[in-house]
Amino acid sequence: MKRILLSIFLMAALLCLHYFVAGSRTAEAAKPAAASCQACHADFTSVLPKGHPPAKGTGLAACTSCHAPDLTGIAKKNAFSSRMHTAHVGPKGSLDCTACHTWVPNKRFGLIGQKWSWGAPKKEDMDLMKEIFISWANSGHTDTLHAKAGIVCTQCHGKELPKADDTVENSRCLTCHGPMEKLALKTEPKDFKGRNPHKSHLGDIACTVCHKGHRESKVYCLGCHQNFQMKIQGAAKP
Amino acid sequence: MREEIKEKPEVEGVSRRSVLKGAVTLGALAAGGGIALNMSMPGTAEAAAKKLPAKWDEEVDVLIIGSGFAGLAAAAEASSRGRKVLILEKMPIYGGNSIINGGEYASSDDKYHIRQKLNLGEDSTKQHFDDTMKGGDYYNNPALVKIMVEDAPATLNWMMDQGGLKMREIASRAGGHTAYRARTCVAGVGRCFTEALKKMAEQSGVKIRLETAVTWVWRKDWEGPVLGVEAVTGKRTKNIKIKHALVFASGGFGQDIKMRQDFNPSITPSVNCTNHKGATGETIRYAQAIGADALQLAFIQLYPFAEPETGILDTSAVFPFRGPGIGIVYVARTGKRYVSELDRRDVCSRAAIATDSKPTYSIFNEKMTPLLGSAEELKKGLENGRFIKAETLKDLAGKIDIPADVFAETIRKHNQYLADGKDPDFNKPITAKMLPIVDGPFYALPQWPAVHHCMGGLRINEMAQVVDVWRKPIPRFYAAGEVAGGVHGSNRLGSNATPDAIVFGRIAGTNAAKEKPMA
Repeated sequence: MKRILLSIFLMAALLCLHYFVAGSRTAEAAKPAAASCQACHADFTSVLPKGHPPAKGTGLAACTSCHAPDLTGIAKKNAFSSRMHTAHVGPKGSLDCTACHTWVPNKRFGLIGQKWSWGAPKKEDMDLMKEIFISWANSGHTDTLHAKAGIVCTQCHGKELPKADDTVENSRCLTCHGPMEKLALKTEPKDFKGRNPHKSHLGDIACTVCHKGHRESKVYCLGCHQNFQMKIQGAAKP
Repeated sequence: MREEIKEKPEVEGVSRRSVLKGAVTLGALAAGGGIALNMSMPGTAEAAAKKLPAKWDEEVDVLIIGSGFAGLAAAAEASSRGRKVLILEKMPIYGGNSIINGGEYASSDDKYHIRQKLNLGEDSTKQHFDDTMKGGDYYNNPALVKIMVEDAPATLNWMMDQGGLKMREIASRAGGHTAYRARTCVAGVGRCFTEALKKMAEQSGVKIRLETAVTWVWRKDWEGPVLGVEAVTGKRTKNIKIKHALVFASGGFGQDIKMRQDFNPSITPSVNCTNHKGATGETIRYAQAIGADALQLAFIQLYPFAEPETGILDTSAVFPFRGPGIGIVYVARTGKRYVSELDRRDVCSRAAIATDSKPTYSIFNEKMTPLLGSAEELKKGLENGRFIKAETLKDLAGKIDIPADVFAETIRKHNQYLADGKDPDFNKPITAKMLPIVDGPFYALPQWPAVHHCMGGLRINEMAQVVDVWRKPIPRFYAAGEVAGGVHGSNRLGSNATPDAIVFGRIAGTNAAKEKPMA
C-alpha cells in the first residue's frame, strides 16, 4: 500500500479564508462555487490600488485573469498571493479557505475556476494549515515578520504544499538574507568578534536551529553560553 | 545460539559500494501485533498502553540513534557496506557533545608519526592500555580497552584518509597518561572529527533526521530481537522498523540532574556541566525497559578546568588539559599549588573542590603558549577575557587577586622541582619536556570542575552488542560511545573518549550491517 503522504499544509498561492471561522468543510461544499466576492466587495474599485484598471466581473476570475497564481515558488516580495492572504487572514478578515479555494479532502486543493491542484490535503492537514496561517498573520514569530514584509508560504517553502515536518533550507533563507559572509558581518559583535551566531564553532548549521518559522525563536548559543548578550527577532509575541 | 559476528573494521582500502538510493521503503509493514516487552510498572498508563505497533510507518536497514562520534562512525561503516542508514538526532543540530568536544584524540601512533617526529619519547598500545586501566582503577572491561587502544591509530588514519581530517603537529601528555599521545585536530574542537565522519557517512547516502527523539524501543519478548523504535518529530509520532539492526549512540546523561542524583548524589544539582543540553539519560532507560543491562552508572567524571561561571569547555579551557606535560602549574586562591598537574581528572577535580574557594588557576608563560594551543585561540581567549595576562608574576597575582608573595614563591619552588627532577609537594613525575616559568609575559586562566563524562552506561560486548541482564546479547541491538559503559572504569583519561566512541561506533556499524535482513 502506498504510504500516505503525511500532511501537506500550506500552499502558496491564494486565499485561505473563512475556513478560519467555519472549520472544516465537506466535499460538497468544495465544489466550485459562484466565488463571488460581492458579499463584502460590492464594488472592487474600493479595494483596488490607485490607478488600477477596473476589474471585470464579480468573482475571483476577475483577479486571476491578470494575476496568474505563482506556481514557481519564487521568493518574491508582495506577490499577488501574499497581498491576497494578508488582506483576508487574521485581524484583517476571517474567511473560509474555500471562499476562493477548492478542496476535496485527500484528493485535491486548488483555486476556484482553475484546474491545477497543489496536492491532496487531509482534514488534519487543513487544520494545520489553518493554525499556521493564523500564526503567520498574528503570532509575532518569524512567520509574522515575513507576513509584514509581504512574504507568504511559497517564498520560503517552495511551490509544493509543505509537509507537516517541512523545514526551510538555508539556501532559501539566503536568497534574501545572504550571502552568509555578508550576513555574518552584520551580526559581528563590536566587543567580542568571536561571539558571532552566524559564524560559530558549530560550523554550518541550519538557520532554523534558532529562527523558528511558526513558533518562538531562541538563540541556541545561550543554552550553553548563558552569559552572552544576544537577542533574536521573533522571540515572543510582541 | 547465534553465530558470533565480530569483525574488526577494515582500515585500508575500504571499498565503498554503491548505496541503495531512493526514499524509505513505502508500505505498511506488518508487525504482527501483540504486546511489546515492557518493564514499566504494572498498572501504569505506560505499561498498559505499550502494544506493539499494528503497522510500521517506515523501515530502514540500520537505524542509529544519535549523531555524535559513535553514531556517525557506525553510519559510515554500515552505509559503506550498502545498507540504507538513518540517524535520528533529537537536537536541532547534529553532533551532540562530540561537535563541542575539545578535539583531542588519544592514540599511541598515527600515519605521520607525530610523536616520534617531535622527539616526545616512547609509546605503545600496551602502554596506552596500562594507563587507561590504571586511570580507571581497573574497573574497566580489559577486553574493550584492548580493542580501543589497538584500533585507535588505524581509526585516526581512516578519518585522515577518507574523511579529510587534519591534525596539528603537536602531541600532549595529559593527566593520567604516561606518554605524549593526546593528538589535536586542526580546528581544536571535536567538530573536525564530526565533519570528517559526517562527510564519509553522507558520501554513502546516510540521512540524518534532526529534532527527532526516540520515545520507545520495540521488542516482543526476552529472546527476540529489537524490532524498531517509536520516535517523535514535532507533533508526529512514527514507528520505524529495522531490517538489520538498531544502534544506540545516544551519549551520556551529564545534563540529566535527576539521573546524576540517582546514581551519584555527591554530584549536587548546582554542579555545572560541560555537556550540550541534550545529554540526558532516557535512552538508557528505554534500553533497560527491554532487558538491557547497564553498569557503573555512578562513575561520573568532572572536567577539572571548565569555565567557572557557566561550566562550558571552550577552546581556552583545553589549554590546562594540554599543559601538564610541558610544566603548566595549577594554583588555588591561596597562591599555592593544590595537586600534581599530571594527575587524573577525578583527583584534580576533588583537589580543586577541596580548596573550597572558586576558582583555581592555570599558570603558564609566553614560551609555553605554542604548545598549549593555536595563536588564534590565545588571541581570542585574551579578547574575550578568559586569559589574564601580565608582564610580571606580581602583576598577575594582583590581577587575579591572590597573595603575590606566596604565588611568586610557589612558581620559584616549582621551577626548582623541575630542575631537581623531583616534586616533594605532590610527587609529580617530572620530565625533561617540562618548562620552568621564568620569563614573562605570564598568563592565568580561571578554572573549576564541571560534570563532563559518564563512564557508565549500557553493557556491551566486544562486538558492541548490547547485553541483557542474563549476559546474553540482545539480537540486532548495538551500542557505542558514551551511552555504553565499561571502557573507562571509574575515571576516563582525557582524550580517550574520542577513540572509544569512534572505534566502537565502527564496530557497531560494521556488525549491524552484517546482520541478515529480518524476515
